Amino acid sequence: MAKHRGRGFATIEYPTGMNQNGDPSQAWIKLKPDGRVDVFSGTVDIGQGSKTVHTQIVADALGVPYDWVTMDNTNTDSSAVCTGTFASRGTFIGGNAVRLAAERVRERILDIASKELEIDPSDLDIADGEVIVRGAPQKRINVADVAGAATYNYGELISGSSTALKPFAEVDDATGQVEIEPHSAISYAACVAEVEVDDETGEVVVERMVQVYDVGRAINPTLVEGQIEGGAMMGLGLALLENSYPYYPSVEHRGAQFGAYLGPALRDLPELDNVIIENASEDGPFGAKAIGEMANNAQPPAIANAIYDAVGVWITEMPATPDRVLIALAEKREPRRDGKRVIFDEHLSVRTISADGGASFLGVDA
Amino acid sequence: MKAVGARLPRYDGVGHVTGRTQYVDDVRVGRNLWVKALRSPHHHASITSLDTGKAEQMKGVHAVVTHLDVPKNVYGHLEGLGVPADEPLLAEGDVRYKGQPIAAVAAESEAAAMAAVEAIEIRYEERPALFDIRQALDPDAPQIHQWGNVYPHYGPYNHRRVRKGDIDRAFDDADVIVEGVYRPQAIEQMPMETQVALVVPEASGRLTIYSCTQAMYFSMGVVAAHLQVPLNKLKFVGGTVGGGFGGKVDTASETICALLALKSRRPVKWRWTREEEFLASSTRAPWHIELADAVTKDGWILGRRTLTLHDSGAYARFSPYGLTKHAFHHSGAYTIPNLRFDGFVAFTNRVPTTAMRGFGVTSVSFAVETHLNRIAEVLGLDPWELRLKNANRIGDTSGNGVVLKDPSTVPVTLAAADRVGTELSASFRAMTPEPRTGDLLPAHLVAQQSLNGERA
Repeated sequence: MAKHRGRGFATIEYPTGMNQNGDPSQAWIKLKPDGRVDVFSGTVDIGQGSKTVHTQIVADALGVPYDWVTMDNTNTDSSAVCTGTFASRGTFIGGNAVRLAAERVRERILDIASKELEIDPSDLDIADGEVIVRGAPQKRINVADVAGAATYNYGELISGSSTALKPFAEVDDATGQVEIEPHSAISYAACVAEVEVDDETGEVVVERMVQVYDVGRAINPTLVEGQIEGGAMMGLGLALLENSYPYYPSVEHRGAQFGAYLGPALRDLPELDNVIIENASEDGPFGAKAIGEMANNAQPPAIANAIYDAVGVWITEMPATPDRVLIALAEKREPRRDGKRVIFDEHLSVRTISADGGASFLGVDA
Repeated sequence: MKAVGARLPRYDGVGHVTGRTQYVDDVRVGRNLWVKALRSPHHHASITSLDTGKAEQMKGVHAVVTHLDVPKNVYGHLEGLGVPADEPLLAEGDVRYKGQPIAAVAAESEAAAMAAVEAIEIRYEERPALFDIRQALDPDAPQIHQWGNVYPHYGPYNHRRVRKGDIDRAFDDADVIVEGVYRPQAIEQMPMETQVALVVPEASGRLTIYSCTQAMYFSMGVVAAHLQVPLNKLKFVGGTVGGGFGGKVDTASETICALLALKSRRPVKWRWTREEEFLASSTRAPWHIELADAVTKDGWILGRRTLTLHDSGAYARFSPYGLTKHAFHHSGAYTIPNLRFDGFVAFTNRVPTTAMRGFGVTSVSFAVETHLNRIAEVLGLDPWELRLKNANRIGDTSGNGVVLKDPSTVPVTLAAADRVGTELSASFRAMTPEPRTGDLLPAHLVAQQSLNGERA
């Protein structure tokens, strides 16, 4: 018996908010009389931290302290439409909705401040909760006083709303080509996995993963790292452990409890090295793209490639459980060569398994 | 201080770690009833008789619902795009997966509800089931879905297609063709919070729906469609979810609770057991992907032929969308000028699969990235350099014809190589995402660039 070490890697890309678009997020914002900010958004926080990220976006888009901002995403009476938290759209599309609403509120603040200061709004800026005059820093008015004046002197509720919406991207069904991009941005990532494979037990242990993510702009680097590390464990589960149907395609022997379904646990946690790259997007809030979903996509192939590097077998039916590794080591399948074709995994192909040699699937243009 | 870019603490973090965040099951209202469902014990069967009379008379039972109680029982997420509905809220005629809900009971306790479920009289006639998507179009395959065994609504096609460039020429010109099969598995979303809903019928006639959905407006639309009511009759309360990972894009429990609340005129709560969460809630889909890449000896990928089968389980749900996303990204982080992709959403008698983190793309990333290492092995090339050479560059077009503005294949790959001390030759180390020139713009990619010109 021996333990073998191997290293593999993968580079991936992932669309931000691909619902072919036509899926809006809306937000509205109002100021309290002391300038504190109420944001109403329909974006559901599933643990990824959208409430935090959206609050940060609003604070900077307005120019007020973060702790002035209250986020209410609790119900459909007070919030406007958010199509949902899926497709890695929360930071980009939901974030753009609150950013655009905040920009409208900012314009209203500057209009009222302009009246109070008797200075043209184009000469005004907002920073740290104060409206300041460009070039004359001693002249200023607190946003709290602006909101108070709006409420009690001008009879105005400072508020703003907006919708982040791209038009629906039609697909040419004959060619799969689109006229406009069906995503909002594309994020990229690379993952290196280092594994140890035991050729007697078939067990694979991931010892270290190095992961690089281009997220456009990390609105909150701690939350981005949380996604990277949580995603790494989910990817590790996909690569090595989890299976709803252990004898797929059979439906027998499904695990129905945590104790009967092998998900990743802390004992599986490898050393993690996270690198964030910021290659800003054109249209995202403060240049953001997305991180959410792609975070479990690069590890499974990186680990499969590392297993090959360690013991010279390809595991292409996921996950790489000990039994699959041992069977692969025993079988040592070689690809079939036919002229210039190098054919792996022929035993799994529709050509082998279906009644008509795969013709129904492969011959659609015949 | 700027907030964007700062490591600010999670907005609701203190509540989460001190147990003070209120999730749906933490919401207490007076006099609520509890829900249990009758679920199919068979993978595929006809319901030959269904009688809820005894169950309705049992002590503590306030309401029982079947398909007869649903104003619009059959619904589909893609109806707005002209695709007919396919999935009943409560089974009607046939059951197509084990665990499919057929009837639901609201009673004074979970035990009373379960006892009533067991008292529902039902007979089935079992039918042959289909589980292997590779056999979905076999002549003797059991026919399991109203549309046949594959989804037929990609325009006139029963498959999602990509046709780009001249695929036959790419395969003729190739030095080597590398073929492989990749089978990513189904997994559970495994949220800590199981599917749960609480519906309160208000004095105003509205329903307040406490929901764990990942998409309040989306789920409100689903409930409104089944109930055939305008949106002002419903108020969704949610926004904080105890783990979703895609599984809570399905509106799994809200509508049945709403029906029972209307019928019983009492608040009703349905919290799925862990066993139901594992066995009756949707999973990530299993996929079957066959790749054939036409490559040159020095590592250019001239073309790719792909066959993908997506195991949708018993109904379509979001699978047609997931497969489209898969198709759009099947060339990975690389520029491949000639593509032929055919993807099928195939039905089986398993629990319908649905969204999960990376939906549609996790599977193809596994296939593509494992396949590239096989190509490197067959050609005797460095897998880093193979990727860098074919990497997306600014101005390249993606598989679906989008001109790429800010691709990062090169920077993330170089950063990863650097971090682990991989030695690359100087020309590869110096690469950037800037548009192709010189050795990185061979004839087969010049055509690609001219395509950009036409589109730009």
